Amino acid sequence: MVRTSQGAGGRSATRTVADAGTAVPEPARRSSRRGFLAAAGAAAVAPYAITSTALGNASTPPASDRIVMGGIGIGNMGSGDQAAFLNRPDVQYVAVCDVRQKWREDAKGRVDGKYGNADCAAYVDFRDLLGRTDIDAVHVATPDHWHAIMTIAACRAGKDVYLQKPETLTLREGPLMVDAARRYGRVVSGGSQRVLDDYREIVHPCWAGEIGAIRSVDISVGGPSMPCSLPALPTPPDIDWELWLGPAPWAPYNPGRCDGNYGTGGNSWRSYLDYSGGSLTDWGAHHFGGAIFATDLRELQPAKVTYHAASADGKQAAYVTVTYPNGVDIHHNRPQQLRPATPSLTHGGAIQIVGDGQPRGPKPVPAYRGQGGIYGDFLECVKTRERPFRDIELAVNTMTAPHMIGIAYRLERSLAWDAAAQRFTDDEEANRLLDRGRREPWML
Amino acid sequence: MAHDPASLDELFASLQAFDWGGDATALREIDAAVIAAHGDAAVRADLEKRLSALLGGSCPRAAKDYACRKLAVIGTAASVPALAAFLPDREHSHMARFALQQISATEAAAALRKALGDLQGDLKIGMISSLAGRGDAASVPLLAALVRGEPRIAVAAAEALGRIRTDEALQALAAAADVADPAVAAAVADARLAGAEAQLRHGRRPEALATYRALAEATAGGTTPSAKAVRLAATRGILACLDTMAAS
Repeated sequence: MVRTSQGAGGRSATRTVADAGTAVPEPARRSSRRGFLAAAGAAAVAPYAITSTALGNASTPPASDRIVMGGIGIGNMGSGDQAAFLNRPDVQYVAVCDVRQKWREDAKGRVDGKYGNADCAAYVDFRDLLGRTDIDAVHVATPDHWHAIMTIAACRAGKDVYLQKPETLTLREGPLMVDAARRYGRVVSGGSQRVLDDYREIVHPCWAGEIGAIRSVDISVGGPSMPCSLPALPTPPDIDWELWLGPAPWAPYNPGRCDGNYGTGGNSWRSYLDYSGGSLTDWGAHHFGGAIFATDLRELQPAKVTYHAASADGKQAAYVTVTYPNGVDIHHNRPQQLRPATPSLTHGGAIQIVGDGQPRGPKPVPAYRGQGGIYGDFLECVKTRERPFRDIELAVNTMTAPHMIGIAYRLERSLAWDAAAQRFTDDEEANRLLDRGRREPWML
Repeated sequence: MAHDPASLDELFASLQAFDWGGDATALREIDAAVIAAHGDAAVRADLEKRLSALLGGSCPRAAKDYACRKLAVIGTAASVPALAAFLPDREHSHMARFALQQISATEAAAALRKALGDLQGDLKIGMISSLAGRGDAASVPLLAALVRGEPRIAVAAAEALGRIRTDEALQALAAAADVADPAVAAAVADARLAGAEAQLRHGRRPEALATYRALAEATAGGTTPSAKAVRLAATRGILACLDTMAAS
């Protein structure tokens, strides 16, 4: 991979030809592989087999121009991310990491099958993968409680990061992640592939000014996560349970506690407080992401959170509203009878948007860079060092809304947010929920 | 829900017997009681007393885990002794520590600082983590003394100083700039960069610029990925300082 002065990481060329049969010796780092070979003379490398994939061809960049990647957390969503990157001609995929043996082996198998060799490294501990100097970028799809620690560690190790949503588990994590990305000049992309692709029918009219100034948004998505009290079962030998838990509170193994299925009603890590914000932040990352993008709120955080208690007769459930500094309200699960009868725009039953009906001038819609959706956007930004479509700062701002809503539900009261101080105003109890402790030896 | 001591007696009796896989109904009702008691100091104090008392008894780990979680939300100085008693306990230390990390009372910080001195290994790192989470300025001398010690502890101490980032903390980090261990050196550099960023945000440009220049000079010629990363970050910082100068 042609690298900037960051210098961190290199390319698969650092491995010897004897190991891989495809690499070129180290001196090629600063010149094109083809140029090096021409300068060295064919005779100097004649004994070695240089495959066409190393030199590149019409459809595949030379190895020196490929982004060297590894993956951390290769379960359900992680395997999807892996497939997307593995199938890119401008990626050289070299390593996988997962605490589950089967997922780790399956992920390695997919890489080896793609390249027709057995070269993909497989790690249990993400620190070993991040310690490799040849890796340029990683994709992370672990449970949410690991996202901040891994992203910050990756930035410090000189890696760019494609991070699955929701990017944060607590409000305190986001600024630390943004700081690390900016400090080390890393490209860190959030991973909601749906924000630009799934919500076009609300994004384009909003940005075109067709519905005028945005007044309110209604989002329908599940609620916050819940405590887990599943019974203890023997820990199977093929999962590193200590490392799966990591910074989360110790709890006994149970397959329902750590299952990576997409449900949030129990028996999946997405359901539980110690690992996830529940459907509110899981699917919420998409719906809030789409709505906040459509209404151009990505650079703001809410100023106020209003908790609407359930009605005494139980016929109307509690719901929460966040209000942005520009006056836009986003309602979470507002009862239907309280919503406008004819919203300006809808995205199925999940999102309704109301504008003031006074058409305004259009603004260009931010788009992905490069080719290939959000994955291509990330890779293009790795090459150009631009900030990606779902840059970590925009992702953090977006996730602030569902996190605040979750806190309001837990406390059953309204809150005010000081974005400059990144704290709730005059509410010590709410501020105790900004972050959580991390089990030793992990810290943030 | 009105405060009903008799009902709470029943709920806490159920909680005392709670283990993973058991009926969590009592726990959810205690959750509701805590929420309902917002703003009522007397009721909160009663709930806190019951939770603290449970820690001192013999009940399953899951029950004590729950008590610590609740004390993280409503705990005060009154709960510190019961929580501090668990800090040396390998099983319960982190849950007790999570509560002490959130309790604003100075007694909580004092308990963590004492345990920092008493404990070793991962438990010591845990205390460092929670003191950093509190932003505890009073722990800076203790943390500074650890930065030249055992590397795993030193890395944690450096990170904590970077989180606390008082002037004293940043001076301690600067004094540790020549530490030999590569992992510790990287942690010290990262913490100093974080400190410089905070200084720049608060308009303390000359101090930030001095730190960035020191880091850039210290890593000049360095070829390791860490040295290159720090040099690049320091260079960005210098440019940011100069931009600020130009703007002003």
